[in-house]
Amino acid sequence: MKLPLSMLRDYVEIPIAAEAYAQRMIMTGTAVESIERPGEEIQNVVIGRVLTCEKVEGTHLTQCTVDVGQENPLHIVCGAPNAAAGILVPVALDGATLPGGQTVKKGKLRGMASEGMLCSAAELGIPQELYPSTGEAGLLIFNEEYPVGMDIKPIVGLDDAIIDFEILANRPDCMCALGIARESAAALNTNFLAPSGRVKESGGDIHKEVKVSVLDPDLCPRYTARVIKNVRIAPSPKWLRKYLTGAGLRPINNIVDITNFVMIEYGHPMHAFDLSKVRGREIIVRRAKDGETLTTLDDVERTFTSSDLLICDAEGATGIGGVMGGEESEITESTKEVMFECASFNRTSIRLTSRSQGMRTDASARFERGVSPHTTMDAVNRACMLVDMLDAGDVVNGCIDIYPNPVEIKSVAASVRRISERSGVDIPAATMVEILEKLQFTVKLKGDTLTVTAPPFRSDIETEADVCEEVLRIYGFEHIGCTRLRGESTQGGISAQLKLTGKIAGILHGMGYMEIMKFSFLSIHEIEKLGLPEGDLRLDPLRIQNPLGEDSSVMRPTLAPDMLKTLSFNMSHGTAAAKLYEIATVYDKRRVTDEGLPTETQTLCLGAYGEDVDFYAVRSAAEAVLKSQGIDDYTIEKCGEPYLHPGRRAVLNKDGQDIVKLGEVHPDVRDAFDMPGRAVIAEIDLALVGKAAKPMGPLKPLPRFPGVARDLALVIDESIAVGPLTTAIRKAGGELLETVEMFDVYRGGQLEQGKKSVAFSLTFRAPDRTLTEPDVAKAMEKIQRSCAYQFGAVIR
Amino acid sequence: MLETLNKIRTQVVSDLETVQSTAELEALQVKALGKKGELTALLKSLGKLPQEERPAMGAAINEARKALQERIDLRAQELKRKERDEALRREAIDVTEPRKLPEIGTAHPITIVMNEMIECFTGMGFEVLQGSEVELEYYNFELMNIPKNHPARDAQDTLYIDDNIVLRTHTSPMQARVMLARKPPIRIVCPGRVYRADELDASHSPVFHQMEGLVVDEHISMADLRGTLDAFAKHIYGADVNIRFRPSFFPFTEPSAEVDLTCSNCKGTGCKVCKGTGWIEILGSGMVNPKVLDMCGIDSQKYSGFAFGIGLDRIAMGRFAIPDMRLLFEGDARLLSQLR
Repeated sequence: MKLPLSMLRDYVEIPIAAEAYAQRMIMTGTAVESIERPGEEIQNVVIGRVLTCEKVEGTHLTQCTVDVGQENPLHIVCGAPNAAAGILVPVALDGATLPGGQTVKKGKLRGMASEGMLCSAAELGIPQELYPSTGEAGLLIFNEEYPVGMDIKPIVGLDDAIIDFEILANRPDCMCALGIARESAAALNTNFLAPSGRVKESGGDIHKEVKVSVLDPDLCPRYTARVIKNVRIAPSPKWLRKYLTGAGLRPINNIVDITNFVMIEYGHPMHAFDLSKVRGREIIVRRAKDGETLTTLDDVERTFTSSDLLICDAEGATGIGGVMGGEESEITESTKEVMFECASFNRTSIRLTSRSQGMRTDASARFERGVSPHTTMDAVNRACMLVDMLDAGDVVNGCIDIYPNPVEIKSVAASVRRISERSGVDIPAATMVEILEKLQFTVKLKGDTLTVTAPPFRSDIETEADVCEEVLRIYGFEHIGCTRLRGESTQGGISAQLKLTGKIAGILHGMGYMEIMKFSFLSIHEIEKLGLPEGDLRLDPLRIQNPLGEDSSVMRPTLAPDMLKTLSFNMSHGTAAAKLYEIATVYDKRRVTDEGLPTETQTLCLGAYGEDVDFYAVRSAAEAVLKSQGIDDYTIEKCGEPYLHPGRRAVLNKDGQDIVKLGEVHPDVRDAFDMPGRAVIAEIDLALVGKAAKPMGPLKPLPRFPGVARDLALVIDESIAVGPLTTAIRKAGGELLETVEMFDVYRGGQLEQGKKSVAFSLTFRAPDRTLTEPDVAKAMEKIQRSCAYQFGAVIR
Repeated sequence: MLETLNKIRTQVVSDLETVQSTAELEALQVKALGKKGELTALLKSLGKLPQEERPAMGAAINEARKALQERIDLRAQELKRKERDEALRREAIDVTEPRKLPEIGTAHPITIVMNEMIECFTGMGFEVLQGSEVELEYYNFELMNIPKNHPARDAQDTLYIDDNIVLRTHTSPMQARVMLARKPPIRIVCPGRVYRADELDASHSPVFHQMEGLVVDEHISMADLRGTLDAFAKHIYGADVNIRFRPSFFPFTEPSAEVDLTCSNCKGTGCKVCKGTGWIEILGSGMVNPKVLDMCGIDSQKYSGFAFGIGLDRIAMGRFAIPDMRLLFEGDARLLSQLR
């Protein structure tokens, strides 16, 4: 909300400069977005009177002599069509600066000396509306009298600072100059000067002019109206136009400008009806009928429901209450009678109407924030006083004020001790009273108890905590000290989930994996790219009711699509190799909690590509993750996700559950994700990992007896998997077999086609004795027999 | 005989000088002192001497053997050193020759910042908890004193799953869940993902990260809040930073304060980054609204509390000079590999 500082100074003493004032306002709770100084760049532009003005033959130029209060008049060549002897104009002197960094220098124009420049409004950055009589191309001519040589800035309002305030959601009362002025008075401890005066009535009776009825006071708690006769539409005076343009509004004519000015001043959006156009001279405020239609000012036919409020005349709807008025009764040049409406509307209803109709006006935005019903009368009276002041018409006696259920003003009891305790600052009771009174609260202090009645426009004051905030913010947050927490100590620490992910992250970092973070939602098409079979539950994920767009409409049932996208992104950005991981939640709408919320499962996704990356590298990484949690009793099964290479995919299964699913990306899926190269991904269910994790137990004692090492090379069919063979060796080796490690696979040479030789290194050891040759031979014999029997393995 | 002994002795000493390897030296030793060596032979021929000359001659031979052995040992040590030195020279490598480093992975910038914060708060006795991201409206809004029809609940700000379930718009619902489940003293922080219906651009994202803090106990004050956040700021940004409180409004705290931190760019003197103020806004905080305490089953007459919510993404962006929010969610290895 922009307000000119000069306007604020009409209502409150501000004895400091704009910057210091803004700082103090910020520190007491009224944020300041910016301070604009429209005249900042203008220097050395003064009032001058054109003494002589002669046309230069064959050009559009004139040669002028101009009195700027110096010893000799200046010679200035001017191109403006309205240059003439006798006019009072702004003159940029030699060395003057203008908006946009333009500087004016003494010089020659077509051989004629020119010692300055006569200025138009546009050249000084003055809004056209402020001086409507001068055209765009012409010089700014002052009709009022000013001494020559006087600085131009205070005259045209360019010395003003326009302050852009940002008002907190709980302070709709500050959405106006008076509200800001009240805050300023408390913040600066100066005096607040409310506009005063009485409405000068000129006879007649409002009840004979217009009839108003409010049928739905829940949506329109208060409706206040006054009538003006003998309206004299004219432009507003300069001070009013200056304030309006400073606040970012366009001056139109005196009546409209008055309603806008009162809105800036009091925060009340007002509406001015041309009373002669109100059919039946009657206003009815009522709910719309379901399906009722109305063509609004913006030429759109709109359909309403019973939650919308319409302003109607005797023959039907003309406007939407608090949102937009009707075209019929707009103020025009020929308007002769006016009814001012100043009403208060239900903020929720306005918000819903504004949303459902897609109309957000200055008025609706204010009503949504909340406009106090208490001050409608003050505002409408202020409008009438301005009518009188501007001689814009005659105020009819009496007013209409429909306010069936006045809002009760409640008082709050607050404890001085508790306020100080909550603040952590000792604030004397007398200071509290002083601050609250400055904020226009009524305060009674008895012992420790403050009985506080907030001014009627402060609907945000309900509890002691609210009173505490009022006192503390004006007293100054800078007085709050720094204390450390006292009292009973608490057991800090991190959750089991964070311990798990922290440990795993460390393991992954050591293996060169880098963490990525992706959004929790994506497009269903990204999931479809995985080529999942029909009926796969991931094709029907948890959906967002009001997504930002299709590409972010479903919650992730798997981390795979985002990982594939990211791998593809890195491949296409010239990164030759990458190892990435994401730890995030996947959502399952079919498994719901007791509260009806979808299950969230923390999942680890690995994705890697590059020269050193193959299926085994990623499987090892996944296995290292499991190992870090003490999980080693899983089987590797040759099956898995449909989006993976059918010959290069697997699941690690523990107790019937797939704890890891991994494999090389299927070429079809690579195509779908625009991945030029191969990549391997793995998804690890961290909930299962957490459940299966074994605590670190007591360490095994070191072996006391020597082990015996043996190598074993077995020739088997190519089709036989090494995993089950290794399991068979381990099983047959019994308790004496300590470790089995495959160290080589050999094909070709003297081996038959379709065979491979797999070499293992075995270690045997007994915990209680040194093994003898026959012990080992017996175990080896058993292993060989078992492998021969189960897999047709032959010793090489 | 003595003459022979002296000759052997002289010969061995002179040979020692010319010996150039341990192998040659060993041969020399065998030749001179070995079982079949010259001195042994001389000793064996003692019998040929007259009885009375034998002891003196024997002593002379033994003395010569001892002396020679010492000379040989000395020479052996010299030669060994020489040979080892030669080997060391031979084995020298070019230590500047480049090799590929073992890859070092990294946490995401947001995780790095989050972990630093967790470290700070657990040190002050806070427990770290994580809540669910898909949350009941009741916890996200109702219990946070954001009643029905409040603008914050609008579909243009909040992502809904259905009429009662939202993607949490802040980590605050964990406040309510913890207060309903526990008795004071409560000191918790809850890091996690939160969601708003904001379009993605350089400074906004529909998905971002917060860390919620909540303390509930007897006699908790704004000064405790300030002390806690001051300690946090100094832990993360260093001992020379300060914080300041600015009055603000949140439905679930009263009084409420925005917290500004000394601008890291200009150290508080005012610059472009802080728009000349010397301060950077980092978080929102305040005293828990007594209405919230009461709704969550905590007696607001007896207990008070403070709460704060820190935006991790902005802090990570500031900390690592990341100019655009989108970079956080792109997963570009060229950026991530600069972290450690």
